[in-house]
Amino acid sequence: VRCQRCPPLRALQASATLRRASDEHQKEPLTSSSQQHFDSPPAGPQPAQEPQGPRPSYTGQGGQQSEDYESEEQLQHRILTAALEFVPEHGWTAEAIAEGAKTLGLSVAAAGMFHSDGSELILHFVSECNTKLSELLRKEQKLVQLGEAEKKPMDEFLRDAVEARLRMLIPYIEKWPQALSVLLLPRNIPSSLSLLTSMIDDIWHYAGDQSTDFSWYTRRAVLTGIYNSTELVMLQDSSPDFEDTWRFLGNRVADAMAMSSTASQVQSTGEAVVQGLMGAAVTVSNAESSRAVG
Amino acid sequence: VYQVFESVAKKYDVMNDSMTLGIHRVWKDILIHKMNPSPGTLLLDVAGGTGDIAFRFINYVRSVRERQLQRRLRHHQNLSWQEIYESYQKDKCKSLGDSQVVVCDINREMLKVGKQKAQHLGYSEGLSWVLGNAEELPFDDDKFDVYTIAFGIRNVTRIDLALQEAHRVLKPGGRFLCLEFSHVSNPLLSRLYDLYSFQVIPVLGEVIAGDWKSYQYLVESIRRFPPQEELKAMIEDAGFFKVDYENLNFGIVAIHSGFKL
Repeated sequence: VRCQRCPPLRALQASATLRRASDEHQKEPLTSSSQQHFDSPPAGPQPAQEPQGPRPSYTGQGGQQSEDYESEEQLQHRILTAALEFVPEHGWTAEAIAEGAKTLGLSVAAAGMFHSDGSELILHFVSECNTKLSELLRKEQKLVQLGEAEKKPMDEFLRDAVEARLRMLIPYIEKWPQALSVLLLPRNIPSSLSLLTSMIDDIWHYAGDQSTDFSWYTRRAVLTGIYNSTELVMLQDSSPDFEDTWRFLGNRVADAMAMSSTASQVQSTGEAVVQGLMGAAVTVSNAESSRAVG
Repeated sequence: VYQVFESVAKKYDVMNDSMTLGIHRVWKDILIHKMNPSPGTLLLDVAGGTGDIAFRFINYVRSVRERQLQRRLRHHQNLSWQEIYESYQKDKCKSLGDSQVVVCDINREMLKVGKQKAQHLGYSEGLSWVLGNAEELPFDDDKFDVYTIAFGIRNVTRIDLALQEAHRVLKPGGRFLCLEFSHVSNPLLSRLYDLYSFQVIPVLGEVIAGDWKSYQYLVESIRRFPPQEELKAMIEDAGFFKVDYENLNFGIVAIHSGFKL
C-alpha cells in the first residue's frame, strides 16, 4: 500500500533491513551470535546481519513492492517483540525499545520510530497476550469438540480464562503499574479500551455465550469488572504464586454466577406468576361463559 | 558557497542569534529532544561547523547517562561494598556511555571556530572534527546511528546526492534528521516573514558582520529551497522509510525525519 507512491527510482534502492519473509528462518541463528558483539563500541561495522547482500530490485512495474518483502509494520512488530525481554530491566520505555532494536542488528536510533513513552510497546504486548489467550481457548475448545476433554462448567471456565490471561503479566508485573498508567493516557484510551473489550468478547465467545439480548451487555460489563479488579489485586499481591489473587478471582466469579442465577430465578418466578394469572383469567372467563350458557 | 561561509564563520553564531532573535537555540533543542539519543549513539553532524548540535547532543546524552547510573545505583542497594566498588570502576570512564559525535563541515574556518568553542566550553571527549563534503562523505558505509544536518542542506548544490550519502553512511535502523528553513503556509505570517527576511536580515548582516551580500544570498536560498512535501519526497527517493516532518513556528522551520530500514 505504501509503495504505490514510489517512483521507479526508489525501487532500485534495496532496503537494508526490510527483508524477505522467507528469510525469517535464516535469521534466528544469527541473532544469538550477534548478541555478543553488542557490548563493544558501536563504531565498528555491524556483524554480518544481512548475509543476503544487496537484494534484487523490486519485481513488478511501477515500483509495486513485491509481496515477499517485509513491511514497515512487520519490522516494527519484530522490534517491539524483541524489546519485551528488556522491559523488566528498563521498564516500558524507549530504552527497552532501543535495546530490542540492537538485538535485531539495528541501530539504537530505530527506537525513534516509536513514541518516547513506550505506548506502542505496551499496546503491542497487550495485543500479543490477547492473541495468545485466543489461541489457548481455541485449542481447549477443539479438545472438547474432539471429546478428549470435559466441557467445563461456566464459572470454572471463566476463572481459568482470566487466570491464564493474567498469568501472562507475571514476568512484567513489577513494571505493570507504569504500563497501566500509560494505557490510561487519553491518547491511548481508544486502543486500550478496544483491546480490552475484544478480549472479553473472546472469552465469552468461547464460553459458549450465544445471547443476542440485553444480557450480552451485562455479561461483558460483569466480566470486565472482574478482570480489572483482579488485575489490580494482582499488582499488590505478594503471596506465593499469587494464590490470593486467584482466590479473589474465584470469589468474584462465584458472586457473578450467584447474581445471574438470582436474576434468572426472579425472571422465572415472574413468568410463573404471569402464567398463573393468565390461567386464572382463562378459568374465570370459561366459568363465566359456561355459566352464561348453562 | 565556500566563500560565503569563509567570511561568515567567525560571526556565525552572533548572526544566528540576532537574525532569529535567539529562537534558533530552541529549534536546535527541539531537534535533539526529537532525536532522544541513548548513550552509545554515534552521531554524524554534517555542515555542523560551529558545533551547536554536537554540544547539545553531548549534554543530552550526559544527562540520560546520569539518570541511568542513578537508577542502577538504586538497584544496587542490596549489593556488598565490593560489588558496588566494582560497578563504579566500570562506569567511571563512561560518562558519555560510548556516545560520540563527528562534526563534518566543508569549511575549515567553521570547524576552527567550532573547535575553539568546544575548548572554551569545556567539551573534551566524544568529539571529532572532520573536513568533508556532504555530497561525498569521507566515511565508510553503515557507520552512524544518527545523521543530522541543521541549516546546512539548503547550501548543498545537489541535495539528492547529499541524501544518498546520508543513506549510505547510516547503519540499518539509523535515523536521518534535517532541520531547515521551510515554507510558511499561513499567508499573513508569510508576508510578515518576507518583510523581515528581505528588509531586516541583510541590514543586520551589514551592521554586525559587515557583509550584506552573504545574507542576501542566505535569504534568497531559503526562498529557493523546496517546501516540506517536496523535501519529504526527495528523502523517500533516497531510500528512507517512515519519512515525516514537523513544522516549527508555523513552517518557518521544519524538522524532517527518516529511517534507513
